Amino acid sequence: MIPVFLGVAILTYAVGNSAGSPIDLIRAGLRNPSPQVIESLRIYYHLDRPVYERFLLWFWQLLQGNLGVSITGRSVAQQIGAWFWTTMELQIIALLLAVAIGIPVGVYSATHQYSKSDYAITSFAIFGYSMPTFWLGIILIIVFSFELGWLPSSGAKGYTFLWGGNSILDALAHLALPVAVLTYIELATFVRLVRANMLEVMKQDYILAARASGLSERTVTYRYALRNAITPVVTVVGLAFGGALGGAPATETTFTWPGLGYAFAQAALLLDIPLVQGITVVITVMVLVANLLTDLIYAVLDPRVAIT
Amino acid sequence: MPEETVHKRSASQWAVAWRRFRRNKSGLIGSAIVVFFLLIAFLAPIIAPYGPRSYQSLYEGAAGEPPSWKHPFGVEDSGIDIFSEVINGTRNDLYVGLVASILTTLLGIAIGAVGGYFKGLISDLVLGITQVFFVIPVLLLILLFVRVFSILVFKGLGLTLIVLILAFFGWSGVSFVVRGETLRVREMEFVQAARSLGAGTSRLLFRHIVPNILSPLIVITTLNIAGFILTEVVVSFLGFGDPNTSTWGLVLNEGFSSIRTEWWVSLFPGIAVVFCVLGFNLMGDGLSDALNPRLRE
Repeated sequence: MIPVFLGVAILTYAVGNSAGSPIDLIRAGLRNPSPQVIESLRIYYHLDRPVYERFLLWFWQLLQGNLGVSITGRSVAQQIGAWFWTTMELQIIALLLAVAIGIPVGVYSATHQYSKSDYAITSFAIFGYSMPTFWLGIILIIVFSFELGWLPSSGAKGYTFLWGGNSILDALAHLALPVAVLTYIELATFVRLVRANMLEVMKQDYILAARASGLSERTVTYRYALRNAITPVVTVVGLAFGGALGGAPATETTFTWPGLGYAFAQAALLLDIPLVQGITVVITVMVLVANLLTDLIYAVLDPRVAIT
Repeated sequence: MPEETVHKRSASQWAVAWRRFRRNKSGLIGSAIVVFFLLIAFLAPIIAPYGPRSYQSLYEGAAGEPPSWKHPFGVEDSGIDIFSEVINGTRNDLYVGLVASILTTLLGIAIGAVGGYFKGLISDLVLGITQVFFVIPVLLLILLFVRVFSILVFKGLGLTLIVLILAFFGWSGVSFVVRGETLRVREMEFVQAARSLGAGTSRLLFRHIVPNILSPLIVITTLNIAGFILTEVVVSFLGFGDPNTSTWGLVLNEGFSSIRTEWWVSLFPGIAVVFCVLGFNLMGDGLSDALNPRLRE
């Protein structure tokens, strides 16, 4: 975990200073921040100090949660705080839905191997695997927002409440499309994995033994096979969360979702280096926390894995 | 006749794999799709009615027109014919996917082999760096690097810059596979047998270890092509790509600004992406089944 954090810090710092200093880079991007902002960036990046001290001083500030000011002059930490929750809201709902749907569908697909519904499910999954998330979003926006006019195409909430003037229903209406897209893409991964693991486990001798001792197919599937097939899936849930967060710039831009990913894409285009560094570091920490939680859950589920 | 049975050799590993691949329906469909896209890429200058980034249709008064016989995929507001642009984009997107994937595999082999060959501190260090690259949110850093380096140093490098950055951030998966397989194969009995028969290091490596890690490498390289094409599409869609090079992502980027009125700009390049990526994924899965020695009939 610590090497990963350090690695990301070094990479973002290095690229931010590739023009000499972040200020030079911002100017190379033809952006001209106000003198006050330049001054605060000069202080934040310790440009009066020798090069070898700068990184350490910056890293120390980072550890203390001091992310500096963006080139618009606003505090990076405060801006990120607002985007953090909109991103989490979207990601967590989609992840929970994907797990809740993916596991039973994967089990069904495995227990009905080579049936018509199995082919349908696996084809559905491989398409999800091969599709750019944002493009699916665009198609859904064209169909449901512009052609049918049922759902909003952008943002997390509207100026006029949709769906009966209730703020909760309005939030749900805005969540519907982005959640659907993210869920489908993550679902594709889970279904494939659960199916493959179940097929592997169903071939084991203890499944045969369970069947031979007269247990119902239901008990064999859910109590014996699924328990063993599910453990590797936990790892992938963590990875999928990290993957979806990493892909957030594309998904959130499609839906103009006011979260970290959309902010990142905008900030990177404008070369708002402090903001870009801040968001990258925060997303890295989120991914690492997700991985840590995954490891902990894995250790609980599989007693052979010791927490080190 | 007894003589024939004596001379008959058992089928080689590759012959077995090929026989198995030929029976794999989805793998064959995937390969057919890949061949189709490769043909389009090679023949692009002949098939495409208009050249790359050509605004010709604007002067023909067809700007912003929906699909028709003359413009099967419609026209952008700027006068770019989508059908031509999808064909011209095939060339560039395949270039990015193929070259980035091959570079990634070479880089992964080099780094993985160093990690698997040396022991102690170097091995730990290499493993640590590999893990860092495996976990970091790669897309964010790719976007940032592409943006910064395209305005700073490598102006005009276009797609090659994206290829290099994709490879720089993409090698960790290959490296893990190479390292793991090298460690596994190195300790296997047939390698020990070869060693005790007096085989030198180079013979061991190229005659015994490399052929045994080649299968997973072929699979991962194929699947990586799909992954890199998707990443390139995202990079261009978000506006980080080269605005003067035809790519599917660039058309999607332009389509996004007219999403309200011109659905065809967004639809057709996306379909091309899905089928191309699907082709490589199906082919990779098929190869994975065919080359898996544990599934031997």
